[in-house]
Amino acid sequence: MRELAHRLFAYEVVVGKTSEPMEFPILRIYEKLRQSLSAFAGVAAFESLAFRALTQAKSEAPGLWAVQVAQGGSLQGLGQFEPQIDMDKDLADRFPAGDGGIILIACLLGLLLLFLGDALTLSLLRNTWPDEAFDDRSSENGRNT
Amino acid sequence: MSTQDKVKINKLPTGVPGLDEIVGGGLPEFSFNIIAGAPGSGKTTLAHQFVFANATSDRPALYFTVLGESAIKMLRYQQQYTFFDPAKLPGSIRFINLSQVVLEKDLGAVLEEITKEVEKANPAVVVVDSFRTMVRKPESDMDLQSFIQRLALFLASWQATTFLIGEYAEDELRDNPIFTVADGLFWLRQTPERNSIVRKLQIIKLRGQDSVPGLHTFRITDAGLQAFSRTFGLTGHVKDPPSHRRLCFGIPELDKMLGGGVREGDSVLVAGSSGTGKSVLATQFIAEGIRLGEPGIVAVFEERPQAYAERAASLGLDLETPRKDGKLAILYLRPLDLSVDETMHSILDTVKKLGAKRLVIDSLAGFEMALAPGFRADFRESLYRMIFALTGIGVTILSTVEVDESFTEFPFSTYSISFLTDDIIRLRYVSIDGQLRKIMVVIKMRGGNHAKDIREYEITSKGVVILGKRLTNFQGLISGVPIHSDRSEAKEEPSQEPEIGSKS
Repeated sequence: MRELAHRLFAYEVVVGKTSEPMEFPILRIYEKLRQSLSAFAGVAAFESLAFRALTQAKSEAPGLWAVQVAQGGSLQGLGQFEPQIDMDKDLADRFPAGDGGIILIACLLGLLLLFLGDALTLSLLRNTWPDEAFDDRSSENGRNT
Repeated sequence: MSTQDKVKINKLPTGVPGLDEIVGGGLPEFSFNIIAGAPGSGKTTLAHQFVFANATSDRPALYFTVLGESAIKMLRYQQQYTFFDPAKLPGSIRFINLSQVVLEKDLGAVLEEITKEVEKANPAVVVVDSFRTMVRKPESDMDLQSFIQRLALFLASWQATTFLIGEYAEDELRDNPIFTVADGLFWLRQTPERNSIVRKLQIIKLRGQDSVPGLHTFRITDAGLQAFSRTFGLTGHVKDPPSHRRLCFGIPELDKMLGGGVREGDSVLVAGSSGTGKSVLATQFIAEGIRLGEPGIVAVFEERPQAYAERAASLGLDLETPRKDGKLAILYLRPLDLSVDETMHSILDTVKKLGAKRLVIDSLAGFEMALAPGFRADFRESLYRMIFALTGIGVTILSTVEVDESFTEFPFSTYSISFLTDDIIRLRYVSIDGQLRKIMVVIKMRGGNHAKDIREYEITSKGVVILGKRLTNFQGLISGVPIHSDRSEAKEEPSQEPEIGSKS
C-alpha cells in the first residue's frame, strides 16, 4: 500500500510545481480521494475512514500529531510540524518510509482495500486518476513494471 | 386501435432468475417502481441485480444512497454475490450519496441534486436507496406528493427506469401517495414459520403488464435472489395433446393388469404401508424407462442419491451408468424450508436438461416433510399445481405414498389426493396361512380399462415379482385378514386382463 501511495505522490509531484512544499502533493491526493469518496459514500463515511486512517498513521509517524480531520473530511495541520524531507534526495530514493503524509495516504488506501477489495479500490483509483495506469491486478502493487 | 398502432413498451430483464416470467416478460422500460419490504427482505439485492443486468457505459445506472447503509459497506457485502461485476463500477454504475443534502436541506434541494446528476449522466436506471429515509422528515402531505410527482415525471422524461426502495409496513399501503404514483409495486416478505424462514414476493401492481398474481416464493443464495413463479415458468404453455402411448413397469404381469402400462402423461400413485415395495416398484418403473430410452428423474427425500442407486443395484438395476450418461438424475431435495415451487424449479430444470419422460417422487411424505411448515398447509393445493404442470408437459409421474395399514378400511392415500391422480396401485399386507404376505391391486386407471384382479407378489432380488394367478380362493383380501372361500378347490378362473394399448 505504501508503494501505491508513493506512486500517487510521484504522479502529483509531476503535476505540481517543482518548488512547492512536500505536503502539497499529499494534500492533492487526499483531496481527490475525499472528493470522490464523499460523492460515492457520503461525507460522514469519508470522515470516519479518514479519522481511522489518521489514527493508524499517527502510530507509525508521530510527526503527524498535529494533523486533524476537520468537519467535511478535510485535512488540517499537515506539514506544519512534521520534519520536511529533501524532495530531490527522497524522490531519487523512491520515497523512503518516514514520510507521514504518504503513510496517511497508504493507511487510507489500506482501509479502502480492506472494505472494498482489490477490484473496486482499483476502479475507484482509476476514476480518480484517469490519466494514471493502474494496470496491475493487485492494487497493492500498483502498476506492473 | 390495432396492435401495431399501440405504443410498444420495451421489457427490461430484471436480472433475477424467475422474476421476468412473474412480471410478464420483463420490467417495463421507463417505469417508476417501488421495492417495499421489511429490513433484510432482499430489497437492495433485487435492485442491484436489476442494475447490474441493465447498466451500460452509454446508459449507466445512478444509485443514490440516503442515510441507510453506507455505500462502502453495501458494496463490501454486495460484491459477494456472483452477479456483481466490479468492472461496471464506476463507469456503468455510479453510487452517489445524498445524505448530506437530505440532512441539511429540504425535498426541493434533494430533487435539484437528483436532477443535476441525472442530467449529467443520462442514466437508463435510477435507484434511490432508501427512499423511505429521504421522506421521513416532517413534510406536509402536499410537499411530499409534489416531490414524488415531480421526481416520477422527471425520471420518466429522462427515459430512466426507476426503483425507489423503502422499508414499508403493509398497513401503509393505503393513503400513501408514493404507491399511487408508482407504476410497479414489488413487495418482499420474510416470515418465520416455526424454525424456518419463508421468503415471498408479490407484484401488487405493474402498469401495462400482465404479471402473474399471487405470492411467489424466492430464495437468496450467493447468486442473489431467485424467484419461483406459482405457475412454474409455464405461463402460456399449451398442454400437450393426450398420448395413447403406454409406459411399462417391466413387470409383465403388472403391465398386463394396467392394460399394457400406464398412459403417458398420467400421474400414478403407488400407495402402501412400510415395506410393501413402493420404492422398489418406483425404481423398476424408472429403470424400465431408461432401458427403453426414456430419460428419468427420481426425486428422493428420505435417502441420499448414492444410497438409492446402491439399493437399485441390489435388485439388479443399474442406475449408476444412466446417471453418468445423463439419462437419469436422482435429485435429493431436503433443505427443510423448501417450497413446492422451488422443488418444481429443480425438477423442471432437470426435465428440460435430460428430456425426461418419467418422474418418480419418492415419497410424498418425505416431500411434505422437506417443506417449510407454512407450505405443508398448502400441500394438496401445491401438489395439484405441480402434477398439473408436469403432466401438462408430457411427463409421467409416479408418486409413492405411505398409508397406515388398517383392517377396517382401505385408504388410498393420507393426503386425500387420489382425485389428483389418474392411476392408483395399492399394495398391502394380508394375513394368509400364518404368513404376512403381500397383495397388489390396480384401484383406478383414468385413461382406460384395467384388471380387477388382486394379485399376490413378492420382493425378490429381481424386484417385485407377481406370483401365480389372481387369488380366487379368498374372500376379504383387502381387509388384510381374508378367509378361505369354498372356491379353493374350484377350477381357477383366468385372469381378467384388459385390452392392451400401444406399449412403450
